[in-house]
Formats: sequence, structure tokens, C-alpha cells
Amino acid sequence: MINQPDLNRQQLEPLIRVENLSFDYEKKAGSSLIDDVSFSLLQGEVTLLLGASGSGKSTISLCLNGLYPEAVEGYKKGDVFFRGREIRQFEKGELNQKIGIVFQDPESQFCMMTVENELAFTMENIRIPQKDMSSKIDRILEAVGLKDFQKRPIHQLSGGQKQKVALASVLLLEPELLILDEPTANLDPVSSMEFIKLVSELQKERGMSVFVIEHQLDDWVLFTDHVLALSQEGKLIADGRPDLVFKEQLAMLGAEGIHLPKDITKFPAEKHKRLADKAPRFLERTISISHLSFKRKGNVILDEIDLALHKGEFVAIVGENGAGKSTLLQLMAGILTPYKGKIDFLNKSLKQWREQELRQKMGFVFQNPEHQFITDTVYDELAFGMKLNGTGERKMKARIDVLLDHFQLQNHQWSNPFSISGGQKRRLSVATMLDETPELLLFDEPTFGQDAKTTEELMTIILELKEQGTTVVFVTHDMDLVDQYCERTFVLDSGRIVFHGHPEKLWKNEELLHTARLRQPYRIRKQNLKQQKAGETYDLVR
Amino acid sequence: MISSVNPALKMVAILIPGVLLSFSFDIFTPLIYLIFVVAFTFMFSKISIKKWLLLFSPFVFLAIGFAWMTVLYTSDSFAGGRVLFEFWWFEVTTGGVMVGISLALRSLCFVALSLMFILTTDSTKFMLSLMQQFKLPPKLTYGILAGYRFLPTFKHEFEVLRQAHRIRGIGRAKGLKGRIHQFRRYAIPLMANAIRKAERVAIAMESKGFTGETDRTHYHQMSIGRKDWAFFTSIVGAFCLVIIASYQLGYLNIFGVQF
Amino acid sequence: MMRQWKLKEIVLMSIFGVVFAVIYLMFYFFGQGLRNFLTPFGLAPFGYEVIFGIWFIVSIIAAYVIRKRGAAFWSELIAGTVQVLIGSPAGPQLIISAAIQGLGAEVVFLATRYRNFSLYVLMMAGMSAAVFSYAWGWFQSGLAALTPGLIIATLTVRVISGALLAGLLGKYISDQLAQTGVLRGYALGKEWEEKRDKSA
Ligand SMILES: Nc1ncnc2c1ncn2[C@@H]1O[C@H](COP(=O)(O)OP(=O)(O)OP(=O)(O)O)[C@@H](O)[C@H]1O
Ligand SMILES: Nc1ncnc2c1ncn2[C@@H]1O[C@H](COP(=O)(O)OP(=O)(O)OP(=O)(O)O)[C@@H](O)[C@H]1O
Ligand SMILES: [Mg+2]
Ligand SMILES: [Mg+2]
Repeated sequence: MINQPDLNRQQLEPLIRVENLSFDYEKKAGSSLIDDVSFSLLQGEVTLLLGASGSGKSTISLCLNGLYPEAVEGYKKGDVFFRGREIRQFEKGELNQKIGIVFQDPESQFCMMTVENELAFTMENIRIPQKDMSSKIDRILEAVGLKDFQKRPIHQLSGGQKQKVALASVLLLEPELLILDEPTANLDPVSSMEFIKLVSELQKERGMSVFVIEHQLDDWVLFTDHVLALSQEGKLIADGRPDLVFKEQLAMLGAEGIHLPKDITKFPAEKHKRLADKAPRFLERTISISHLSFKRKGNVILDEIDLALHKGEFVAIVGENGAGKSTLLQLMAGILTPYKGKIDFLNKSLKQWREQELRQKMGFVFQNPEHQFITDTVYDELAFGMKLNGTGERKMKARIDVLLDHFQLQNHQWSNPFSISGGQKRRLSVATMLDETPELLLFDEPTFGQDAKTTEELMTIILELKEQGTTVVFVTHDMDLVDQYCERTFVLDSGRIVFHGHPEKLWKNEELLHTARLRQPYRIRKQNLKQQKAGETYDLVR
Repeated sequence: MISSVNPALKMVAILIPGVLLSFSFDIFTPLIYLIFVVAFTFMFSKISIKKWLLLFSPFVFLAIGFAWMTVLYTSDSFAGGRVLFEFWWFEVTTGGVMVGISLALRSLCFVALSLMFILTTDSTKFMLSLMQQFKLPPKLTYGILAGYRFLPTFKHEFEVLRQAHRIRGIGRAKGLKGRIHQFRRYAIPLMANAIRKAERVAIAMESKGFTGETDRTHYHQMSIGRKDWAFFTSIVGAFCLVIIASYQLGYLNIFGVQF
Repeated sequence: MMRQWKLKEIVLMSIFGVVFAVIYLMFYFFGQGLRNFLTPFGLAPFGYEVIFGIWFIVSIIAAYVIRKRGAAFWSELIAGTVQVLIGSPAGPQLIISAAIQGLGAEVVFLATRYRNFSLYVLMMAGMSAAVFSYAWGWFQSGLAALTPGLIIATLTVRVISGALLAGLLGKYISDQLAQTGVLRGYALGKEWEEKRDKSA
């Protein structure tokens, strides 16, 4: 299903031409972070940039619109041309009205308080007449499914909802080039698909160019015209038509740790499948929740939740954006207090636990990795919990080295946690919770923004812990992950648990999948496709 | 309605009596004006009396405390009149009591004026009208708005940081020493995060095509019309009338000089 | 005058303004408590004076970190305005007090042509803000009604407080922040990096 563009690229006019671009955050000798990269983005094309986490994808995207190096005090060499004119020759802001960008971190891209004012701000910048604004706001909110949120303060939205606001405001800019840095990382499966469709429609309608950075590329490759790939050393290692790149350079991309389109790789689903089917080995309860309700600002977020988890179990909580998943997880971790109901952890009410004891037995990873960080270096971040527990110096160092190695953070141990790449932040936030073998691990979307290799590493570690009896809870939008690893799934819809059971049963319940805005995993879709006779175009919306 | 008055002009309107009141040291002027402000607030806005009282009443106590202090420490030029009573080394005179009550009433006037402003004004619109009517540069206006956006998230941010500390195993601080220690542990990261936000917000604004040019359209079009001037005239005019009245009645006292 | 300012510096300045507005307000109530505590000892007028310096700190921090014309003045003005917006009992004239205090700090930096940001200058700025604010308070909050001896004493205390709580503490906080590396993009952070590069 990879797009096979039939255009002759040479005939198209380049919108962006990058020549010998090098970039570094620190002045340093030797090879640069981004090392002598040259490529073109053509008018009206969709370009996909691939690369391992930390290879410099986000950095490149911010060089294209001239925000870097000034915004971060970096060091740049080489030239970037927009329609044949060097970007330094543009007036400040002029270029940014032509190049729209959705940043990787959904929280740091807003400057107004409410959704409405944020969208208006963008339109004022490009001088859209006041009389047109309201209708445009209505239309775009409708398109991203946030109609009821127009007057909401942005900080009261869920992670996915924030990402949608960011998308909406960039689309209003009507740019000539749209840069999307992992735009769907926090979206539920259906929203993500709808968004991709929206972009492809707008792209065709307006003939704009799109530059996408994405690890989960399966839905994008359907209409990508051009693929670029960065190596871990920051060199450009692939540049060409997607069908050709994925045919000729597949092995090399795989070795870089890049996710490949599932259509052309042997899908590893079978490997862990057996594991997921096994009945639980332990029967002790880890955590049990009864009649739990929670309100925020008078709105009921969770309503009469009941659930119980057992030792050594691996469960997933899924549901649409804003369903209340993060809230539920925070309640389970005891950092929010229930409005009503009871939570028992290891047969003792959560309220009766002493803080430090509780944290030794329970790990929690925030949806936004930055919320996790409380020290100034990656190393200190990892050492923090161990120091608190009085782990010996020698043992601590050894453990930290192992973690740094597993999560590919060796080269960044003295960096500030806030200034590493999106994927690295995610890994670090997960790593901080793995210093011991806790009884319960709660993860809020632990795998987003990860390349194939690190996802694999992460899952290996988690499965090891699970084998030792740790209960693992994932909040995730990745149905393939659920399909591969989880024994039980809870579906949350408008604050209620509407399904719980084996994922296999969930995949069969199409009505439920539809209302909870979920989607079957790739494996099932493929099976269905085969049954429907091979070949035909497959339905995106399933 | 006060809530529909142009916010920037509203600010100027309440600033004028807010400053000029500082020169009066009699009881009559602030008292009458306070009555006027409170009456005006309830006549021309939908603020609920309960909410207003809830916000206002703590300041009554503050004002009393303030008055008491002034009564005890009045300078000679103000402390005329009869000696009412003495204790320790303090000598309480009628002049002193007058000044004390005057200062208390004055501070209540300030509170009433501020409440009238705060409870009827959207802060975004306030900044926007400063830009549109008072020609504050957009760069400064939106820079300030972006910073101001941090205010409601401040509490949220603090919550998040506290949660982060909790999940890492640091419990709630107990006792004064623990609290102070905790304050230190929170203050710097909280500010460091704020600074990071500042940087990112600025990048985000520029990435959305913000140039700082004055040439831009406005979603919230602010303007100053008849209704706004009517408000201005009522607030400032009433103050002038009160001053004239207290002069006529012989109460007016500016800096201890009786007129 | 905002021409030479980068947007991120303006946003930073206003975030400082907002953060310190909250802190200022907390200190207002703290001062109230302090005064009630001191009243039985006959020291009530000093309740506020002792901590008065804290109300100039944002000027010092903003000027020290950003080092541009107007940083001290605007940041204090923003802090004052925000305090009113979040409901300070001191009322709208606080905006004017803030402007005057900010001006007090600003003149010292202006006198050095925004070139010298040593501890000495920062403390001077704090003291100057204290003097300006006292002059204004003379009219506005009825300081004129106090006895002359008390006036001299309170002024002295306020100036010292300005030097220590604004100048010294302001520098300390800014340096602590610079140490975390978040100020890389601003004048103070760059100075730190240069120092580090030299010593390395
Ligand atoms: N502000 C910064 N200061 C210093 N180093 C940085 C900064 N931002 C990123 N880096 C480093 O530069 C490298 C490239 O980062 P970048 O964010 O471009 O990676 P990426 O390819 O987008 O990765 P991901 O897929 O994880 O988002 C990383 O090693 C990261 O640690
Ligand atoms: N601080 C807050 N104040 C008020 N409402 C909030 C706040 N945070 C979240 N909400 C609302 O609560 C609901 C549930 O939010 P939650 O973050 O739990 O959703 P979620 O299921 O994790 O969504 P996502 O998949 O987008 O992360 C959402 O509708 C959201 O708008
Ligand atoms: Mg990235
Ligand atoms: Mg969530």
C-alpha cells in the first residue's frame, strides 16, 4: 500500500532547498549533530522524514523555517532557500506565515489562554478580516472535533485535545509548507486517522507541501511522495520515492532502528501472541477499585469505575481523547484524590500508605514526560529515587549505567532533561521508574515517539518485570501494542468502563470499537482484508 | 453595564480617584465616595452581593488594623485635638483617630474600586484595549499576555511539580522547617520551568507568524464610545462632586491642612 | 523602545512580572502578620519596612538577567498591574507605586548605561527603588502623618531592606537560575557560559 508517485520529480519547482546544512546545539569540534545535509522539498509534495529517536529530525524541521538557530542559541552552517531566496533574507515573521509548524511537544505551543483566542491570534497575524474569523473558527473546530471546547482554557484539555488545538491553529494559517512533528502521537486511533485524512484532503485542495516527521508511518505512506531518512550520525541516508526507498534500502533502515511500513515487513505479532493468551500465573490482587467517581470543575470525569488487577498481569486502558484515561491512572497512583469510591493497593487503602513506602512499590509515568523531571541532569534524574532509598554508591552507578545503556541515553547523561529530544525525554521518564522492581507500574502512553528499536528494548524490560510478578498498566493509543502484549483491556468511554476482557474479544466488537473511537490492530485488518479477497483498496476508516 | 465598558478607559477612570484620594485626610470624603462606588457597582453590574461581600470583608479587618496603627503613630501635625486616653507611651488624640479612620476608609475605597474593575473585566480584553486604544506596541501586549497566561497555570504547574515529587517518593512536608525546605526545593524549578515556557511560547508565537507589527486585524475589536465616556464621567465626576461637597461643608482636609 | 527587544525577552520579563506578583501578594499578607506581631512591642511601623525590599526584587532580577533598557521599569509595572488584577487590597494606585519603584531601580541601571551589573550596582538599584518608593509613599499612603523620628528610622530600614532583599537576594536567585542552564538564551546565561568556557 505504499504510494507510487508517478511524477517526474525533476520537473517540479523546489519550494525548499537545503544545501549543506549542519547544526549543533553546542560549539564543538568533530562531526556535527546534523552533518552536511542537502535535499529539496517540492511544491505540492508530501515528504516523510524518518530517523531514529534523537537523530535530529525535530532540529531540521525548525531550521527550515528560520526559527533555529536564533531561538536556541545554536550553531548553523549551510543555506536554506525558500522559493530560491535564502531564509535569512526574509523579514522576521514573514517566512513563518508561509511555513506552518506543529511542534512535537503539545503543551508548549500556545500563547493565549483559551482555544478561541489562540485560534484568533493566528488569524490576526495573517490579517484575516474580523468578519470572517468566527466562521473559520467554527469550521476548523468542527473539523478537528473540538466544537464544544471553543471557550475552554487550553490548560484544562487532555493531551490529545491540546494536540488537536495545535493542529487547528496551524491549519488556519493556510501555509504553503506544513511541517508536522509527530502530530498524531497523542491522538486516539480514529482521530489520528481523521487527521491524516484531513491533511491529505487539504493538501490536494490547496496544493500545499507537507513535511511529516512520524514514527508510526503506516497511514502516511499511503500518500507520501517522497521519503528522507536521517542516520543516527545526522547524515542523510535515504532520499527518494517511497516505493523505491523501502524496496532498496529496507535492511539499512531497519538496522537504524526505524519503524518500517508493516505492509512490507514480517509483522512480529506472532512472537508474543502466545504470551498474551496465557492465563494469569498469580491470583493475588495488586490493586482494586470500587465505585470510583471523580469530578473536575463540576464536570463528572469518571463515573462509578470498578476494576481489579492481579499480580503479573499486563493490561491496557484504551479510549478516545478526553475519555478520562490519564485521570484514572493518576487516581490509581494516588496523586489525585477520588471524589467518591475506594482504591485498595496490596489490600490496604491507598490513603493509609506512607508516601515513601508506596512509591517504592509503585511506579508512575506521566503522559507528558516533562512533568516527571525534578533535577538538572539525566544522571541525577535516574539517581534520585535510588538516593532516596539509600542505595549504595557502587550499586547505584552500575544500575544507572544499565539503564542509560538500555534506553540509549549514554551520550546525554549530563544533559538537562528538558533539552533532549522528545523520544529521549519519554525514555528517560520511563527509566526513572525502573530503578527497582515495583509491584505496580502505571504508564501513560509510554511508547509514543519511539523508534522501533527502543520500543523493542522497552518492551523487553517490561516483560522481564512482568515475569517477576509486576502488574503493568498501559494507557495507550497503539492498538498493535495492545494486541501483541496485553492480556486484558479496559475500554473507557465518557468516564465509564464499557468493556473489559481479552483484546481478541474487543477486536470482534465493531460497534464498540466505533463508539469508543478505536480501531482494529494491523494484524486483524490484514486478516479481514484477506478474507475480503486480496488486492482491493482497503478501507481507511476501519 | 460596567462589564461592557472599554477596559483600558475603565482602568484610567478608577485610577484617577484612586490616586487623588490619597491626598485627603478627612473622614467625609472617602466615606461618601465609598458609598457611591459600592452603590454604583451594584446598580450597573451583575456581580452577586454574596460574592462581593466574601471578597470585600477580609479587607475590612485589614483596614481596621491599619487604622489602629495610624492612630498610635500619628505625627504631631496631624495629632491635634483632645487627648482621648493614654496607655504605655501612646497618646491617643481625636486628630489621630480621625486620620486613622480616614486612612481605613480610603483603603476600603481602593478595594471597592479594584473589585469593580476586576469583577467586570476580562484581562485579555484589557490588554487588547491597551494595545488598540492606548497604542501599546503589540510586541509588548502579546508578550505580556503570553506571560499572563502563565498565571492560571501557575497553580496547575505547582500541582504537577508536587505530584512529580510525590511519585518520586517525597511526601508532603511537615512542620515549619520542612515547609521552608520544601519551598526552596520548589521555587527554583518552578521558576526555571516558567523561563523555559517563556522561551517556547515566544518560539510558538513567532512560528505562527507573529511579527510585532501594528498592522494586524483584531478578533476582539475594542472601541471607546459614548457609553465608555459616560462611565468615565460618572466615576471621575462623582469624585469631584464629593470633593466640592466636603469643601463646602468644611470637612476637606488635604495633608493635614483643613480647608 | 521595544525595538531592540527580542520577543522571548519580553515574554520572560512578563513571566517574571506574573510570578513575582503572586509572591508580592503573599508578602503583603505576611507583612500584615508581621505588623500585628510587632504592634505590642510598639514597632508596628517597621512591620512592612523590614520586608519592603522584596517588592523591588523583580526589577533587579529582570534587569540582571535581560540587561536591556526598560527591563527594571516594565517588569515592576507588570508585577504591580497583575497584583491589582488578582485582587490586591492595595488597590489600583498600586500600579503607580510600581511604576515609581521600577523607575527608581531603572535610573541606577541607566546611570551605568546598562553596562555594569555587579552586586554593588544591583544593591544600589534596590536602594534607589526604596528611596523613590518612600518619596511616593510620603504622599500616597500617609507616611507624612508619622512623627519625624519614625520617618528617618523607617526610611533607613527600607533602604537597607532594598539593598538586601532586592539587590542581594535578587542576584542570588538569578544566579541559581542561571546554574540550571535555562537562561542560555539571555544575557546572564551567556555571561555564565563565557565564564565556564574560560575556566574550562
Ligand atoms: N535544546 C536543545 N539543547 C541541546 N541539545 C538538544 C536540544 N534539543 C535537542 N537536543 C539534542 O539533539 C539531538 C537531536 O534532537 P532532535 O529533537 O532533533 O531529535 P529527533 O530526531 O526529533 O528525536 P525524537 O524522534 O526523539 O523526537 C538529541 O540528541 C538531543 O538530545
Ligand atoms: N485540569 C483540568 N481541569 C479541568 N478539566 C480537565 C483538566 N484536565 C483534564 N480535564 C478534562 O477531563 C477530561 C479527561 O481528561 P484526561 O486527561 O483524563 O483524558 P485522556 O483520556 O487521558 O485523554 P488523552 O487521550 O487525550 O490523553 C477531558 O475532557 C479534559 O478536557
Ligand atoms: Mg523530535
Ligand atoms: Mg491522557
